[in-house]
Amino acid sequence: MTDTLSTAVSHELDGNALLDAYRTMRTIRAFEERLHDEFATGEIPGFVHLYAGEEASATGVCLHLDDRDAIASTHRGHGHCIAKGVDVKAMMAEIYGRRTGSCHGKGGSMHIADLSKGMLGANGIVGGGPPLICGTALAAKQKGTGGVGVAFFGDGASNQGTTLEAMNLASVWQLPAIFVAENNGYAEATSSTWSVAADNIADRAAGFGMPGVIVDGFDFFAVHEAAAEAIQRAREGGGPTLIEVKFTRYFGHFEGDQQTYRAGEVAYARENLDCLKRFRARVTETGQVEAARLDAVDAQVADLIDAAVEEAKAAPKPTAADLETDVYIEY
Amino acid sequence: MARTISYREALGEALAQEMERDESVIVLGEDNAGGAGSPGEDDAWGGVLGVTKGLYHRFPGRVLDTPISESAFVGAAIGAATSGLRPVAELMFIDFMGVCFDQIFNQAAKFRYMFGGKAKTPVVIRTMYGAGLRAAAQHSQALYPIFTHIPGLKVVVPSSPYEAKGLLIQSIRDDDPVIFCEHKAMYDVTGDVPEDSYTIPFGEAGVVRDGDDVTIVAIGRMVSVAEEAAKQLAESGVEAEIIDPRTTSPLDTETILESVENTGRLVVVDEATPRCNLATDISALVAKEAFGSLRAPIEMVTAPHTPVPFSDALEDLYIPDAQRVANAVKTVVEWKR
Amino acid sequence: MTVGVVANPASGRDIRRLVAQASVFPTAEKANMVQRLLTAFASVGVTRALLSTDLGGISAAVLRALRGRRPGRDGGWPDVVFCDDDAITGTARDTTNAVRRMVADGARLIVCLGGDGTARVAAAACGDVPLLALSTGTNNAFPRMREATVAGLAGGLVATGAVAAETGTRRATVLHAGVADRGETALVDVCASRSRHIGSRALWHPETITELFCTFAEPDGIGLSSVAGQLCPSPRDEPEGVALTLAPPEHARWVVHAPIAPGLVVPVGVDAWRPLPVGEPVEIGLRGGVIAVDGERELELTGTETATVRLCAEGPRCVDVSAVLAEASANGLLRTENQVAQRKERQR
Repeated sequence: MTDTLSTAVSHELDGNALLDAYRTMRTIRAFEERLHDEFATGEIPGFVHLYAGEEASATGVCLHLDDRDAIASTHRGHGHCIAKGVDVKAMMAEIYGRRTGSCHGKGGSMHIADLSKGMLGANGIVGGGPPLICGTALAAKQKGTGGVGVAFFGDGASNQGTTLEAMNLASVWQLPAIFVAENNGYAEATSSTWSVAADNIADRAAGFGMPGVIVDGFDFFAVHEAAAEAIQRAREGGGPTLIEVKFTRYFGHFEGDQQTYRAGEVAYARENLDCLKRFRARVTETGQVEAARLDAVDAQVADLIDAAVEEAKAAPKPTAADLETDVYIEY
Repeated sequence: MARTISYREALGEALAQEMERDESVIVLGEDNAGGAGSPGEDDAWGGVLGVTKGLYHRFPGRVLDTPISESAFVGAAIGAATSGLRPVAELMFIDFMGVCFDQIFNQAAKFRYMFGGKAKTPVVIRTMYGAGLRAAAQHSQALYPIFTHIPGLKVVVPSSPYEAKGLLIQSIRDDDPVIFCEHKAMYDVTGDVPEDSYTIPFGEAGVVRDGDDVTIVAIGRMVSVAEEAAKQLAESGVEAEIIDPRTTSPLDTETILESVENTGRLVVVDEATPRCNLATDISALVAKEAFGSLRAPIEMVTAPHTPVPFSDALEDLYIPDAQRVANAVKTVVEWKR
Repeated sequence: MTVGVVANPASGRDIRRLVAQASVFPTAEKANMVQRLLTAFASVGVTRALLSTDLGGISAAVLRALRGRRPGRDGGWPDVVFCDDDAITGTARDTTNAVRRMVADGARLIVCLGGDGTARVAAAACGDVPLLALSTGTNNAFPRMREATVAGLAGGLVATGAVAAETGTRRATVLHAGVADRGETALVDVCASRSRHIGSRALWHPETITELFCTFAEPDGIGLSSVAGQLCPSPRDEPEGVALTLAPPEHARWVVHAPIAPGLVVPVGVDAWRPLPVGEPVEIGLRGGVIAVDGERELELTGTETATVRLCAEGPRCVDVSAVLAEASANGLLRTENQVAQRKERQR
């Protein structure tokens, strides 16, 4: 039996790890649903793209990562930030444009980052992240840390040259990189079934000499299992992997999107496929986690989000003195 | 101990000394070794102009050939810089910024500000600019003004072998992203260069020649063109002060303004095309900050507002030369209200 | 004379490309196979073909080919009708819906392009209509590797009645696995695994398996049934199956080195095996794990439920390509003979 196979059951999470996974997914959901409500009041400036519905992807992947691992994210990045351990209150403050935010109010929703946690930033440029991840993976390889780089990108970015170039380079250099294509069905208002000429994003992996797999993005355990294999393979020098995660986003491309291009798939997904519902049902019916403990997490998360919004609203905005700082380290 | 070496050798020496000093320095780019995966030599080129020749064997595993895939490897250099390496990426021709600019100006340049001062991106992008090799419109441009325009980038344009070495070492040690622009017609230019490692600080212009009659600010290879003009002018009794800003971002405005306050006349020589280039930028600065000192309108000597032509007959007309600089100086010196 | 063709766009994309070196079956080739089938159908008198639709590009490619056909130059095809009445869900439900519609619309044959998983879903929906399963998936213990034109000729001959179903089809056995109100039907094997989740579906950790049931077990098979194939083979055309009790290889009585997936040959421990008669319900002792059918985890067990497995003789009628074409040969179904007078006429 090979090493890869012998870790089989160790992929399975104990009660505490399950609770952590649930807490992360619940935090993302509550964060995004609250933003959806708050955005409608007009108090949140700029563009906000919500990750609700996609929680199993960020959580299932990032649960395998630690601080030596870096991720690059997208304009729909709140979930990746939370899953990689960025402070939730600082994130909320950032989205409100406050000086106490993750980026002191200079980044906003699309640029939340925390390099100390290996979170290389949400990214306002579609396809901006994958080349950067080649770099973090290269650094990990050169320094021998065992770290990996994970590029999250969407079905839209799967058509960008940067993404395709990055997959090629990662394969040529045999980098410890994982490309997670989050196919939520739409790039803005355009269906991925139209814009992606390959039948599946995962099929493109063959063209770059790496494995490509499709997983059910609504199923935390499916993502977690595939990510475990890909990340372990990368850590052990096996090179890059492309994982296509298929699901549906629950909200529009941005807040305010009327979504007239969509059919009824959101209602169906919320009712029948939802990652949190499925997770809860499974872990309680097998007796791995008591429902009461999940309820407690729900309550704690709700309190955290309430406090985050309250503190963000009360926090000061940056001042004129902040306008010209931090362009350079030294100039 | 200084000895006479070429611009190319000065750059290679800077890279080697920094790679020796600091293990986190790596070099990557198209054919930076050359011959990857090919049946022949595995350090075949050392970069298209031989700057990195020899580093591949001297620093195993730290000189990386890349596919012709600028977005990927420039982006990788930037990503690696956020993760503890000090990569020096070679963007073969500055014209190729067109296929990787997002990674430079939307990613590297923005990280520090956009992430609230928490990012450090010590990446150097070495790139070749300039006309003169009959390389035509897509391999000859002087595009450093575009990078200079972007907050978050530092832009270096060395004018001699001495400048090349000291500024490249400074670029590698600098914690901000640096665009290092080497003129393609200068690789064989020789000059005195100290053997030991040294740095030239950014934002400190060099005063290449002293003079009281006119200030010539010249960028990159135009410094030597200005020197040639100054020699001619001296014969007719006009003493030009030549200032080499060395870095266009940051720009040493103080040295320029002090000189103009002394001479009262300014000529700016810039190989870039004339709209929104360093000539207009420096002219605007002087017009605003030293208007009272000016005794004549400012003259700008630049390329015309055209793509770089191929034919030698046209390219020679395109590139600013010593005669045009001398004529501009005469215009400002002889100007009467 | 109507037939139905259902093609799964998602087959051949699962995690076995990562944990093993399973092949990627391109959509373009699936679309080519559909076209080869159409050519074969037309040549044996099938007049109408119902095709499944998908968002993966198979039906789109066939539609493009259909529009591009040049009258007089390209051979004839049956009338092609796309079954697009049901919304596409991107799940196995699409296969079920399409097969049910085809059967209701009078299809006399269902051709299914996919792996074991697709064939299993099609088999559960096709009732008594003959099934021709062609392999375009990962594990292909059930569908035979067959060239589509040849298989299409055989399927067409059965559909038109030129070869009688009694001669040209074989009734397969199936395994029913049920727990509470949920059930699945397997064409090849059912196993119980200590893995707690359906997860990425494929099962590639044999040490988690406690029990294995096979409808048949061939020594040259792939997938879990290959374990039984090397220990206690059970031919396809005999109704009886086989049941095995698995154990960690270090404690097991037998250790079989089995190709449980493309690219994965692993030791599998077996403590006991016995013939599995048709109709005998077997209770699975495992609690809180999963039941996998044809190598894919499908049913999650709670801590209190008991799953039951039963071998059933009433599986799908499967087209036996070799038998059909042997019959065609014997009866001259695919040949004609010109009379002497006709030959002379042409020579003149």
